[in-house]
Amino acid sequence: MTMALSHGNVHSDTAKKEQIITEFFAKSLHIILESRSPFVSSRNYSGEQLASSPSSSSSSSSSCRPRDKWFNLALQECPAALENIDFWRQSNLEPMVVDVILIQQPINSELTYFSSKRDLFKHPSLKERPPNYLNLEQEDFGLEKRNEKVIERWVVQYESQKSKGNSSGSKRSSGNLHTLYKKSILLLRSLYVTVRLLPAYKLFRDLISSGQIKTYTLAHRLNSFAEPFTRREEADIQRFGFTPVDSSCGRLCVSVSYFNLLSDVGSETSTPISPHFILDYVGSPLADPLKSFPSLPVSQSSPLYSPFLRRHSWSFDAYRASLPSKFPSPSPTYSDSHASISKSRSQHPSPMSLPHHLPETFQAVTKNRGFDEYWPSPAFSPSTSLSPPTYIPSSDPCKALLRSESAPLSVPPAKPLNTLGFTKKQCLPPSPPIKTTRPGSVKTDKNAGTSSSAAEKFSLGRDESGRLSGVRISSNSSPRISISGSSSRLSIQDDFDDSEFACPFVVDEDDMIDRGGRPESFDQKSHQNESFEAGGLAPVRKSPDAAVGALVLMLNKAPPLRQDFTGSIASKTECSSNTIQASSLTAEGPRTTSSITSSGLLMSKTTSDALEELRGYREMKDLLLKQGSRSHMLDRSAADD
Amino acid sequence: MNCEVCQLKELEVEHFEIREVLRCILHTIMFHRALGLVRPKDVDLQLFDITYVQCGDVELEKKIDEKIDQFLCWVEKHPNKKSQICLSFYEVKNNKAMWFSNRVERLYWEHWYINFNVVQHPKAHSSKSHHSKVVDPGENSSGGESARRTTLEASLQDVLFQIIRFVNDKKDHIPSIPSREGISFPYDITIPSSSDTTFGMDMIKRMLQTGHPTMLS
Repeated sequence: MTMALSHGNVHSDTAKKEQIITEFFAKSLHIILESRSPFVSSRNYSGEQLASSPSSSSSSSSSCRPRDKWFNLALQECPAALENIDFWRQSNLEPMVVDVILIQQPINSELTYFSSKRDLFKHPSLKERPPNYLNLEQEDFGLEKRNEKVIERWVVQYESQKSKGNSSGSKRSSGNLHTLYKKSILLLRSLYVTVRLLPAYKLFRDLISSGQIKTYTLAHRLNSFAEPFTRREEADIQRFGFTPVDSSCGRLCVSVSYFNLLSDVGSETSTPISPHFILDYVGSPLADPLKSFPSLPVSQSSPLYSPFLRRHSWSFDAYRASLPSKFPSPSPTYSDSHASISKSRSQHPSPMSLPHHLPETFQAVTKNRGFDEYWPSPAFSPSTSLSPPTYIPSSDPCKALLRSESAPLSVPPAKPLNTLGFTKKQCLPPSPPIKTTRPGSVKTDKNAGTSSSAAEKFSLGRDESGRLSGVRISSNSSPRISISGSSSRLSIQDDFDDSEFACPFVVDEDDMIDRGGRPESFDQKSHQNESFEAGGLAPVRKSPDAAVGALVLMLNKAPPLRQDFTGSIASKTECSSNTIQASSLTAEGPRTTSSITSSGLLMSKTTSDALEELRGYREMKDLLLKQGSRSHMLDRSAADD
Repeated sequence: MNCEVCQLKELEVEHFEIREVLRCILHTIMFHRALGLVRPKDVDLQLFDITYVQCGDVELEKKIDEKIDQFLCWVEKHPNKKSQICLSFYEVKNNKAMWFSNRVERLYWEHWYINFNVVQHPKAHSSKSHHSKVVDPGENSSGGESARRTTLEASLQDVLFQIIRFVNDKKDHIPSIPSREGISFPYDITIPSSSDTTFGMDMIKRMLQTGHPTMLS
């Protein structure tokens, strides 16, 4: 201290020293976050950068930013660190506590985390710094269930030494800025190596490098104080303190407390690549638009999708390249390359802004059902009951697609649309294409000639889709599908749309007989595929008579109908005059079953019974209309029961 | 000037592990001593769940690999021996009088000793099997093998932390950072050779037995 004072340039030295210290904080934070925060990491492209600028000091001048030259350590761009350190500069020389947080989540709760995490951790304003800032936000988001654990705590601080006499041991070097700088370099080098040796780095590495979507992630929290660990935690904590760097009036200290028992976390919580994941992940941008507009008719929605479909049928790179404008950073795995993008996304906390959340669902959702619980989108809410079953099965046929590399077949999306327009068959929900299940179910309702409520539709749709999932899987095994599977999602959608032509009415009687013993819906479904395999577009060739014959045949062999269920549907599907409606609750049941084939499985009566009943009720109806007498009508209804 | 010495813990390695382990250690030390502007490069070990850091300097990498090759050759000829690699840092002092003769004086200020105990795989009968081991290291991966590997991984991690601690503890002896070309202080890597006193006897014996006239240096 006295040495410094003896110099004339005390102020400049002090300023330099403070700058070194400030930059030391910044660099430390940068080093830590770069290897802990999966959303800012650039670990993946360090190779490229090295190739382009092999970092010898001579070549570095062109590629090096001024920041890189500090401490002779050129780091990757790390927006989060820069952002955070800006706050830091304003609260100079306060301790900097960086908590690395492991967030484990139940399999379907990841969305919660993703939708809120960024808001929580991206703006740790040190200026305002309400003590429980983060916790409060969590509660606001209803995230108490989230399983968070601080697994590492880095403390960077500058301990000023008030009593100057104490630092006798380090006096020799303390006044020397060069020494301070050199030792800071050394400390940062060892910090850089150490962050990669600690257990948390393995989690981070797994998080960003594997093709897996994890049920955990890492976040960070920056503060100027350390919330104490619990005593139980303390027992498991290990500490590593870097040797402080002395300066003229204080010392730079870096230390880390960490849990050493993390090795099992990664293996336990990681979820291996499964078709479902890939589907969700890649297909979601596809699927999500539909999800958000559950009531969109297929005819309207498919043109919207076609671009997405193509996009997704290509490789991840193509996906990444094409996506960012609308769907930034699809997953944590790939987010490194989109650091800036993910950052920008993180600045849009609004849970309603679908585009921002779509990608997050892919990265986050390990189970599709997580969707419903965490999607605040109002557009989505009406379909909550429907989506889980529809969504999962619909994704199955796409498994193969996701792995396919070939370019998509150029199947005009308009084709399915047109066909949809005039297919008035009661065929099964055409759902196989990724998200068309929902529209399909709606259409089925229409076929039933009803103006049923949305809720009714959805419940219906769920039944259908649930049942159809098996069918769809089997359809995957058909050669036709497998071929299309290797081509593209688009082509598959086309296949399935085409298959809608092949509804029961148009199927050859031979085929029908073959399948006579099976439940209707399965019959129809398999017919869709088969008829399509046989050359598709069967409906055009079939005569209406043949179709009717086939239907009758099928109905005769159909499984029993369940009376009560048909009744409930009938009440909605009734399209005849209102005077009859009261008495025809059950009467409409048969009609429903004959038209809504998909509900057949639930019926306890056979459809032939139902047809007979229907006939009877028709007669009754006629009678009633003729007589028009209220008393007569009541009598009839009583008799019916 | 002080000359600090760091004796790193001995590692019991098999032949096929030497290259990776040695690379990891040498680069880690160099990263702490190449105090010029570096653009660090993370490297994940293949055999172990460890990530170390390189300086990202091609020349340095090349030199280290060369030395490792030499050491491997030496190990081939001296199986089942303890061995030591030394990484030393020095300052160059030009002797003005001798300037034209290009004679320089090296002032060593730090030595790092990397100690290996190269063991042979139980199934390997001769040094010829080294290659097959390299090709198929997992062949004998019984429980014992994986336990051994785990132990080695932990030991290697210990050595890396030992390096870090040493770097942290000993800073005063480091000369001022060279602003000249090159990112690192001048250094050399010495591997066992006939001139090495530690291994001199072994090598002489060896030479007598095998008739090999030269040793690698």
